Amino acid sequence: MAAQALSGRAAIVHDLALENYGFGGDHPFNPLRVRLALELCEALGMLEDYPFVSSGPATDEDLTTVHILSYVRMVQKAGRGAGDLSDLLDYGLGTPDNPIFPDMHEACARVVGGVLAACRLVMAGETDHAMCISGGLHHAMRSRASGFCVYNDAGVAISRLKEEHPGIRIAYVDTDAHHGDGVQWMFYSDPDVLSVSMRESGRYLFPGSGGVDEKGRNGGVGYSVNVPLEPFTDDESWISCFEAVVPEALRAFGPDLILSQNGCDGHALDPLTHLSATTRLYEHVPHRIHDLAHHLCGGRWVATGGGGYDIWRVAPRAWSALWAIVSHQELPERVSEDWLSKWSGKSPVELPPLMRDDPEDYPQGPHVAKLAERNLRAVDEVVEKVLSRI
Amino acid sequence: MLLVKDSMTREIVTLPPDETVGTALALCRERRIRHLPVLMEGRLVGIVSDRDLRSATPAFGDQERAAALQEILVEDVMASDVVSSLPDDPIEQAANTMREHRIGSLPVVESGELVGIITSSDVMNALVYLVGANEPGSRMEIAVPDRPGSLAGAAGVFGMCGINIVSAAMGPTREPKEEGAVRERVVVFRVDTIDTTEVVGYLEEAGYSVLWPPRP
Repeated sequence: MAAQALSGRAAIVHDLALENYGFGGDHPFNPLRVRLALELCEALGMLEDYPFVSSGPATDEDLTTVHILSYVRMVQKAGRGAGDLSDLLDYGLGTPDNPIFPDMHEACARVVGGVLAACRLVMAGETDHAMCISGGLHHAMRSRASGFCVYNDAGVAISRLKEEHPGIRIAYVDTDAHHGDGVQWMFYSDPDVLSVSMRESGRYLFPGSGGVDEKGRNGGVGYSVNVPLEPFTDDESWISCFEAVVPEALRAFGPDLILSQNGCDGHALDPLTHLSATTRLYEHVPHRIHDLAHHLCGGRWVATGGGGYDIWRVAPRAWSALWAIVSHQELPERVSEDWLSKWSGKSPVELPPLMRDDPEDYPQGPHVAKLAERNLRAVDEVVEKVLSRI
Repeated sequence: MLLVKDSMTREIVTLPPDETVGTALALCRERRIRHLPVLMEGRLVGIVSDRDLRSATPAFGDQERAAALQEILVEDVMASDVVSSLPDDPIEQAANTMREHRIGSLPVVESGELVGIITSSDVMNALVYLVGANEPGSRMEIAVPDRPGSLAGAAGVFGMCGINIVSAAMGPTREPKEEGAVRERVVVFRVDTIDTTEVVGYLEEAGYSVLWPPRP
């Protein structure tokens, strides 16, 4: 394909084992969303030249680059049905957010292994861009499961790459609707890891952290960039904030690799958050990250998924759009008929026929101008107080 | 919990009254502090803030500044009528004292001896810890009737859903939205969950009005 020759090659890391990461029942983190997204990519013909690259699980040694061993042991125990509930709760396990499921260690370690493999493929020069849509579990803490996340795939991948490529500089760009707290805290004093998290303000929303003033510690001051956006922020305001912060931050930093967390839970339809984005945002962000990767680091870009809890109408289309950009393919206008006929009977909501949202279906809220102004104020503060320190 | 002694700084930087303003200002800068208790023979005789020190000396660039920094003494600019606090005072009392006197710190004195200092920043830290804002959680606002058992009832709904409460703060009463209803209080819960949708439903079923988050 001509486009491939011009602007790089792409790989998709996936296998069925990655779809075991899910909490069962009607838990909102449902691996079906991964299946729906990848089947949509396939039905649209976007996987024809891209067979899945499979990967192994992360080892205990990989995991303990960021997690403490006693936590890993506790997850292993939990997955075998052992462990006292009271002890598990101390590690954030066995809660409604992070229920225990059989073989949970293996499933979680596979996700980390997938993202690690994607990063290694890119760093080895075997491909320019890689995507592992099961990744993006950014809330997982050193010794605690949090917000549907057990092991922190980005944290482990970054730590491993730092060992394998001494001196490497990695930009982690997180546009999930929730703050990328786990990854931020893991590298809070590290000037070789830039963490940018642009999403709904933590004033009300989980996890609550991620104010502009969280900008890093010691040598890492300036390398944690937080842009909290007002609830009900729409595409227009979000994109202008993104443009005001991300390119400048990345240029100032000069990464060797960009790792993006592409949660799509800022969509207006998402049940867990209060933002008002549409598919427009979920094309804009990866497009720009793609451009920046080519300008700044030889195209080296790894994209993961993340949040996205409207699993029928949003995640499949947003992540197909992401894959189209990662793999330099044209995004078709219409959702595939085959895909629709396979899934529409199973979906509790009507499935959209078009890949892109129609702006008319998402009228502006009453306070758009006020919200945009507040967001820009946050952006000014970020530019002045944080970006100046990079 | 929430006593002055839980939040105060115990390692106190102090000065004698005959120290120069120049030295005092340098100390504020080096130690990154704004309030210096003044001690004479171990006894608290005054307190001086960086603002007192600066407003007593000529501005940067003024030729008389260097001399003034050496000549003016701490005792010339300190407040000698010191408002202090006790280690066992509740922190809200210390906060209120600072607010009423419009000052930023209180020396903490026990049996005539200076044992610590509490500043407005310490009060802020206590607030952050109190509301659990340093722990992951979602913030929910719920209006409950101003009647016995309302708080327990709302809290019980979280328990029923298996969601841990990180903090709870209840405000003063306010007029209800609906005419004729009983007065209500707003409770702010921080809860350890990313997904509040289910619990919002149960709270509303139980008759509580959830002010935030909005229903999707």
